[in-house]
Amino acid sequence: MSLIHKSLNELTMQQEFTLEELLDVAVLSEMTSSFEQLFGVAVRLYSAGGSLLADTRTPPRFYACLDETKPGRQAVQAVILAVRSQVVKVGQHELIPCPSGGSYLISAIAHEGKVMGKIILGPFLSPDAQAPPESTWSLVMEASHDQALLAWQSIPKLEAKQVMKLDQHLRNTLDLLIFSGLKAHLASSMHMNTVQENFRELSDKNKKLQVAYDRLKELDRLKSNFLATVSHELRTPLTSIIGYSEMMIEGISGEINEEQREFLNTIHEKGEQLLELIKSLLDLSKLESGTMSLRRAPVDCGHLVEQVVKTLTPAALKRGVKLVAEVEVGVPSLQGDADRLRQVLNNLTENALKFTAEGGMVVVSTRNVGLVADDMGGLGGALLGATQRPAIELRVTDTGIGIPESERERVFDAFYQVDSSSTREVGGTGLGLSIVKRLVDAHDGTVRVESNKPRGSSFIVVLPILHRAP
Amino acid sequence: MQLDFATKELTIKLVYYGPALSGKTTNLQALHAAAAGEVKGRLMTLDTKDDRTLFFDLLPLSFEDKTGLSVRLKVFTVPGQVIHASTRRLVVQGADGVAFIADSRVSETDTNAESFLDLRDNLRVQGIRLEEMPLVIQFNKRDLPGVRPEAEVAQMAAGGREPVYLGVATQGLGVVECFIGLLFCTWQKLEQQNALSEKFGFDGEAFIEHVARQLGSTTPVAELLAQAVGGNVALRKGRST
Repeated sequence: MSLIHKSLNELTMQQEFTLEELLDVAVLSEMTSSFEQLFGVAVRLYSAGGSLLADTRTPPRFYACLDETKPGRQAVQAVILAVRSQVVKVGQHELIPCPSGGSYLISAIAHEGKVMGKIILGPFLSPDAQAPPESTWSLVMEASHDQALLAWQSIPKLEAKQVMKLDQHLRNTLDLLIFSGLKAHLASSMHMNTVQENFRELSDKNKKLQVAYDRLKELDRLKSNFLATVSHELRTPLTSIIGYSEMMIEGISGEINEEQREFLNTIHEKGEQLLELIKSLLDLSKLESGTMSLRRAPVDCGHLVEQVVKTLTPAALKRGVKLVAEVEVGVPSLQGDADRLRQVLNNLTENALKFTAEGGMVVVSTRNVGLVADDMGGLGGALLGATQRPAIELRVTDTGIGIPESERERVFDAFYQVDSSSTREVGGTGLGLSIVKRLVDAHDGTVRVESNKPRGSSFIVVLPILHRAP
Repeated sequence: MQLDFATKELTIKLVYYGPALSGKTTNLQALHAAAAGEVKGRLMTLDTKDDRTLFFDLLPLSFEDKTGLSVRLKVFTVPGQVIHASTRRLVVQGADGVAFIADSRVSETDTNAESFLDLRDNLRVQGIRLEEMPLVIQFNKRDLPGVRPEAEVAQMAAGGREPVYLGVATQGLGVVECFIGLLFCTWQKLEQQNALSEKFGFDGEAFIEHVARQLGSTTPVAELLAQAVGGNVALRKGRST
């Protein structure tokens, strides 16, 4: 397991790491080899767990000669076992004799008072050693004596004191390696853990946001339900008010004088206005709850434009505004709900008339706009090109007061009005455009506002000709 | 705290907390300089940028008690800059005691307070109440102009629970006093929780005396502790020599 995955406390407080985890074993062997070349003494490094970290490149040649006899082999194995199993404490040394008459020096590799492994230096001979001990000759085959002597002479001769100094040097070096190894691992582990901690923190926050968001969505749904219920309940008594006032105007309940007729007309007119408003609310809540279904059939948009202009021309004349229809030749019909699309054009045109002063002009037009890509801002054109669809455009342009750029996104929000003070002046519920937006969405189209320079606004609706099943 | 009964090793984690540039690392460097060679390990400074700590500094100190208990003190600093919040939380995890290093300048009052609340929050995330954490405060940088007068610090300290020390860490002044104060508070808490003297025959006060000597102080511990202004809750219980 990599130390990166250990926590700060595991690494620093519990010192839960081993030398093999901490040090690069391949590099360590390079160091011991170079040490041996320099000082002639062989080095072995063991971790506390007993695994060999670094070794001399070749075993002592003298041992090869001993290996030829059984007692010799046993003697070599005994010394190897003794060296490997020797326990050393921090700051202490152990000398283990070997059959050559020399010895091994064993010391502990420690980190902050804890034994991490051991260093084995040797074998080395005392500088005054002349020959292998007599007892050792019996372990060597007669024929190999010369060779054994030669091998013996290649064993380094050093004072024990000197070897201790070498050992100290080696321990200092290892201490530095351990320190920098630990430092590097701590830095990586901190990087890792900090990232995880940040992730945890963000996930927590995301969760809380999601809960808040879900709650808001639920509230929004409740609001739509409320709107639907209330509008429905309001409509029922209103129908009676309108109906009975109508009957009285027609004189069904007897003769009425002029003043009474005037009053009844006002009641009837305001009742109709209220009904329109309630219908809009119902539409909106139906659209919001997704319960409005479209009756799709081929729609001739040119015809639609002309119809709407014809219907609203009296209102335009009353306001002194010129209302014009512009229909491009050859606009194909599209798959949609004619009533709903008429409502879109109607709302947009009424809106334009409302905000255009006397002497101004409102143009309602339609044209073919060719292929329109799905709304990905040009991303992945090569992939999404296939999703381009033929579309037509409906456009209502006025020379009215215009809409500031910062407000153009928000005009489609329900109940939003750019200047709430103008409501009283021009009337309206603030629902018209939000209904437009939802109806256009239901047709898989887009609606946006542009400035009609130098004065007024353009509302542009783009509708795909063919309906694509969701 | 890590306690290994088999090897009789006790490891205690002490954390130096505080706002950015209040002198936490400087305190550690001064402690490292003051400590005798045989007790101190290498001061590890992990990843710095423009001399600002990014992760933490770590000073290991190890002491051998007469009873054979080996006590290791791991002294950490946290990165003070506000953006390293999650690193601070990781470093302060498992702390046995906290030294809060404050900047004495009046202009730093708000920064100190913010960092202190940050400490409280980071402990709370781990289910630890600040009131339960052994804590000392050091008002550092006493040598700079614009510092809060000593009398005022004393007055404020009298209203708090924690011992407050004055220091000039760059000159090593007040550093050992603050550390011994922290060790003392931490010791009292650990003793209360783990009854170490009962289990190991460990003499905490003698040990702290030993630590003070190893940090080059010749002043008796009771006097070192008495240098705190205010927060005289537990300290007077210390053995008087």
